[in-house]
Amino acid sequence: MSLVTDSPVHSSSSDDFAAFLDTELDSKSSASSASDDEAPNQHHSDSAASSSPDQDKEAEEDDDSDFQSKRVKRSKVETLEIVEDDGGAASLASLKHNSEVSISKEICTHPGSFGTMCIVCGQLLDGESGVTFGYIHKGLRLGNDEIVRLRNTDMKNLLRHKKLYLILDLDHTLLNSTQLMHMTLDEEYLNGQTASLQDVSKGSLFMLSSMQMMTKLRPFVRTFLKEASQMFEMYIYTMGDRAYALEMAKLLDPGREYFNAKVISRDDGTQRHQKGLDVVLGQESAVLILDDTENAWMKHKDNLILMERYHFFASSCHQFGFNCKSLSEQNTDESESEGALASILKVLRKIHQIFFEELEENMDGRDVRQVLKTVRKDVLKGCKIVFSRVFPTQSQANNHHLWRMAEQLGATCSTELDPSVTHVVSKDSGTEKSHWASKHNKFLVQPGWIEAANYFWQRQPEENFSVNQIKN
Amino acid sequence: MFFHIVLERNMQLHPRFFGRNLRENIVSKLMKDVEGTCSGRHGFVVAITGIENIGKGLIRDGTGFVTFPVKYQCVVFRPFKGEILEAVVTMVNKMGFFAEAGPVQIFVSNHLIPDDMEFQTGDMPNYTTSDGSVKIQKDSEVRLKIIGTRVDATEIFCIGTIKDDFLGVINDPANA
Repeated sequence: MSLVTDSPVHSSSSDDFAAFLDTELDSKSSASSASDDEAPNQHHSDSAASSSPDQDKEAEEDDDSDFQSKRVKRSKVETLEIVEDDGGAASLASLKHNSEVSISKEICTHPGSFGTMCIVCGQLLDGESGVTFGYIHKGLRLGNDEIVRLRNTDMKNLLRHKKLYLILDLDHTLLNSTQLMHMTLDEEYLNGQTASLQDVSKGSLFMLSSMQMMTKLRPFVRTFLKEASQMFEMYIYTMGDRAYALEMAKLLDPGREYFNAKVISRDDGTQRHQKGLDVVLGQESAVLILDDTENAWMKHKDNLILMERYHFFASSCHQFGFNCKSLSEQNTDESESEGALASILKVLRKIHQIFFEELEENMDGRDVRQVLKTVRKDVLKGCKIVFSRVFPTQSQANNHHLWRMAEQLGATCSTELDPSVTHVVSKDSGTEKSHWASKHNKFLVQPGWIEAANYFWQRQPEENFSVNQIKN
Repeated sequence: MFFHIVLERNMQLHPRFFGRNLRENIVSKLMKDVEGTCSGRHGFVVAITGIENIGKGLIRDGTGFVTFPVKYQCVVFRPFKGEILEAVVTMVNKMGFFAEAGPVQIFVSNHLIPDDMEFQTGDMPNYTTSDGSVKIQKDSEVRLKIIGTRVDATEIFCIGTIKDDFLGVINDPANA
């Protein structure tokens, strides 16, 4: 093969081609020789013959650059730049080139890059600095200062539209997927119920034969997205890979109204097994996160609204160690109007309202994390809880996650019984404290009562969690 | 910029293609191999327009494959620094917008969009002047100036600007 087509792609080659053109255009007199130079290798079938002029040129370049570096005394990087740039062109042209480069270098801070070129001055950058934003466009990177600047301008824009950011997880939050090979016999009937992929806005069960998967959207999800899009700028952030994330985004948002270039997948994150807000162009004080896995958001727990996991398929139940029948096997589903998404939407509305209406006078100091905390504290307000046989005896009671959860929900926790106690949380109706509760007409509930309140952001009816009921 | 140039390539052919259609087979394989590829030197090969000549084949030892040197004319497209291009906007976001001129991907950062144009979110994100007379959104056609290029094996990336005289929207689909 000829040298032309096979020559490795080198940054200089394009520029020297350009330089050749420049010189050719400049000097008409040398037109014949330039045209020979301009497309030198096309006419030589013999690669050896075509490579020799190149070597000559390189020698010329070296002389050139020595001369230049003495004159200009710039950094090494720039001398390199010169060598690459002028590529054997007339020295006048290269001088002009050089001055251009140095001027832009003095001004430009290189706020980001696209395909390793600076997005402002177009110069090739050597290092790979900044955070990648591959989910927006391949090859896009932004420096920290630029991210801060974008967040600030975007924040103003968003507040003007009375919106906040909402980050949504996919699996177990908005939908549930399973591999076709993991489907059980009891789920075979689902094959006949899948909706067509032609019009995904109807139906909620989809067979993605290309990925060997079946996906069930959580009930109420379409209404949820529609309503939430009025109050939030929404992102998808999933631990799945990119292809899967985009496929799911298509199912959830067939009109591409909500998640246009805002689908972040595992491949885009900056840390393994962690989700982070660093790749989200939104200020942390205005971001709410909806996810079923608390551990994925170690650094942003204050922004997180924990979701009850949606297990539709049997494989998903097994994955989390539940051995009960899955929703699909029982041929049921979550309630459309009282499911997790519906109750969370109410919470989101409330937070949005507090943020924009009640905190109007304090525009700059507003923080959605504070609002979230306040709303959470209202859930079990006025409850005084005593635990019984819930924690291991040797551990510190007030370190237990249920204890902390109850306090976050606004309840007061105590280890001693007194008349002000309203609830006794116990796994067993036979303990001393349980007897005390039934004697003094206090609520005796299972630990699940607190967890349910945490998921639904509402005090749950105590009857559903009574300890005796289970025992009998 | 487009160029009509002569390039050369060695084509390896399996013996099953030999016969009366040998020439056509070589040409169709050449088109399949070359059209749509990039090279750093020449840019994007848009189309093969003719075959100059096909040299004598050389049998490869051991395999039976035969190598033919083929000279062909083709149209190539290569963006240059400083060139003015017309491109179609493919995506608009708060960082700027992406546009395509054929196979070339161009990014125009919001630093290089005139200061009086502001980003507007929504289901159709766009950059609009304060009086609303000019709007850049998806599918708008813009005239821009290339300020940086980089050529990969399969892709060409460019950085563009519209912060200069006579640059910007040339045809707005919303008003068409």
